[in-house]
Amino acid sequence: MLHGLIAAAILGWAFLFHTRGHDWGENASNAGAIQATMVSSLPLPPTQRTLDTGVLTSEAPSPAPVITKERTEPPPTPNEIAIPEKITKPIKEAEKPTPAPPKHIQPVTPPPTKAVTGETAGVRIAQSTLELKNGTASVSVEDRTFGQRFAYYVNIVNSKVAQNWYTAEADPRTSIGKSTTIIFDINREGVPSNARIETPSGSPSLDLSAMRAVQRVDGFGPLPQGDHITVEYTFHLHPQ
Amino acid sequence: MLRLKRTPLPRHAYLCRLGVLLLLLVGASALHAQEGFKTETSSGVSNIRIAVADFKPASADPQTSAFKHTFDSTLYADLANAGIFDIVSKSLLPQATPGAPAEIRIQQWADAPTSAAMVVFGNFGVQANRITCNGFLFDAKNLQYPQVLAKQYNEDATDDSARQIAHRFADEIIFRLSGGSQGIAESKIFYVKLTGADKEIWQMDYDGANQHPLTHLGTVSLSPRISPDNSRLAFSSLGRDGFQIRMFSLVLNRMVNFSAAGGTNLSPAWSPNGKDLAYSSSRSGDPEIWISDTSGGSSRRVTSFRGPDVSPVFNPRSGSQIAWISGRTNLPQLYVMDTDGSNVQRMTDGGYATSPSWSPNGQFLTFAWDRKYGPGAPGGQDIYVMEIATKRWIQLTHDGGRCDFPSWSPDGRHIVYANSPDGRATHMKIMTMLADGTQKHELTGAGADMPNWSWK
Repeated sequence: MLHGLIAAAILGWAFLFHTRGHDWGENASNAGAIQATMVSSLPLPPTQRTLDTGVLTSEAPSPAPVITKERTEPPPTPNEIAIPEKITKPIKEAEKPTPAPPKHIQPVTPPPTKAVTGETAGVRIAQSTLELKNGTASVSVEDRTFGQRFAYYVNIVNSKVAQNWYTAEADPRTSIGKSTTIIFDINREGVPSNARIETPSGSPSLDLSAMRAVQRVDGFGPLPQGDHITVEYTFHLHPQ
Repeated sequence: MLRLKRTPLPRHAYLCRLGVLLLLLVGASALHAQEGFKTETSSGVSNIRIAVADFKPASADPQTSAFKHTFDSTLYADLANAGIFDIVSKSLLPQATPGAPAEIRIQQWADAPTSAAMVVFGNFGVQANRITCNGFLFDAKNLQYPQVLAKQYNEDATDDSARQIAHRFADEIIFRLSGGSQGIAESKIFYVKLTGADKEIWQMDYDGANQHPLTHLGTVSLSPRISPDNSRLAFSSLGRDGFQIRMFSLVLNRMVNFSAAGGTNLSPAWSPNGKDLAYSSSRSGDPEIWISDTSGGSSRRVTSFRGPDVSPVFNPRSGSQIAWISGRTNLPQLYVMDTDGSNVQRMTDGGYATSPSWSPNGQFLTFAWDRKYGPGAPGGQDIYVMEIATKRWIQLTHDGGRCDFPSWSPDGRHIVYANSPDGRATHMKIMTMLADGTQKHELTGAGADMPNWSWK
């Protein structure tokens, strides 16, 4: 009876008050303005970033460690491993002088036939150097008169003895870099004689080879002038 | 000669550079040079660079041109053949033709491209059927005193005398510049000429010119050998008594006496003093070396060993040794002994060696050698040079066909020999070369054999 009364009361109340006008969205002139606002423009505080790297705070799960399967390396082929190069110092190169361009041959003016005061004579060959096949030979003449007048004879003496010097006779272990001086006379017929060592080199084989060179010469040809001359001949063995 | 000597040097020779300093002084006073200039060349020690100018015609005689051409070409060839010069090609010579010392501008010849160390020039003319020739040799490097040699010649105007003048002048130049060894331009070569079935002895100049016969025996004459004084010619000739040594006098221009002996007598050889003659004779049954005087008297036997002994040759330097070919151990080998028959020494170790010739300085032997003798053996008969003291040898000819009968020139720088390209005896010709095997060229055509170079 009571429950019926309560239910009847509710229903009766609803019945009594349910016609109370159109309140919401009513097409009425007194309706209030509605302002729509975009969500993004809401002045909300940003979401707090968490520490990603932390295992506990990171949102992304930490990757599991990759365990690669062990492989055996194939042996290297012989040409794969480069032989370490020897460390060499950079070679210093002297600056090469640029060769002068070939000059055009200029017409030579004939020398004056009259001697000018102070004019020098031609080249005086008191000493000369011959380039041998395997070295150099130089001639020097003290007697300027003979050397100038008969320079060709000096050259013949030089080359003839040099031809007859067999450097192989000198022991290279003791002779290289040393020089020995032989003195000999040339008589009127050009035959050398009286060869003797003036300055020994300290290497007996070099001294002997130099003596033999002089002794091998049969003659240089008759002297162009004079009765005899004395020649001082220095043999020098260069290291290659 | 230098190359010959150097060839067998030990290996370390190239390691050494040789430098030579020469100080030359008159008298024995002070010994050290205090002052002087230094010049350098790279012309090489062995060869002097020499320029040979064409001589300047000195007369308007119509014969001048022809004779001058003979003279110029002979002089040029003589100097080129001498083996001691580096001769400047004619295209590199200056345009000017100097005829006298006053006309030459020596600097022009010393400069490139001529770059001559020595200059030969002169003038050549024909006047009144006489050749007048002035020749000069100038040292182009010595501007102050350039003259080395001046020569004047006056001869009959013939082509032959133009050639002889050139030979004589060339010899003078070679004598001055070679350091005392005589030139060979005036030397002669004697040889066997094949004329039909006969073989006669002929003579020619060293350059192959002027070939002419000496003997007219109408038989087979072999191995001519000229005496050291150029007066007599010994050879072996086939006569009534077989092969005998015969003697021809170049002075008398007829045969002179040489006593005949029994058996076969071959290959005479003069001693250097001209008083003895060594030859092979089989008068005792076996070919042995005998020595007799120049008329065939007082002969004595030197070898006595079973087997043939032939082709003796005296050591021209000492006269006290004989090299010869002996077959005492089957194949012929080269031996050396003293003239009394002692000190016999075998030089070759095998093969087939023939016809030795001794170098004028006594240091070398040249001979023909077939080192691998036998059927199917490689190689052939070639010319070799052996140094006697060491028995080391070098081969001079290669693959040129059969070579035989080498003979040294008097200057020791040349060797004349007979060569047959196809090996046939009738195709033998005479060739010459430098003693190191270079500059080979022919002197005669086919049909010439057994050359022998005169002693001077």
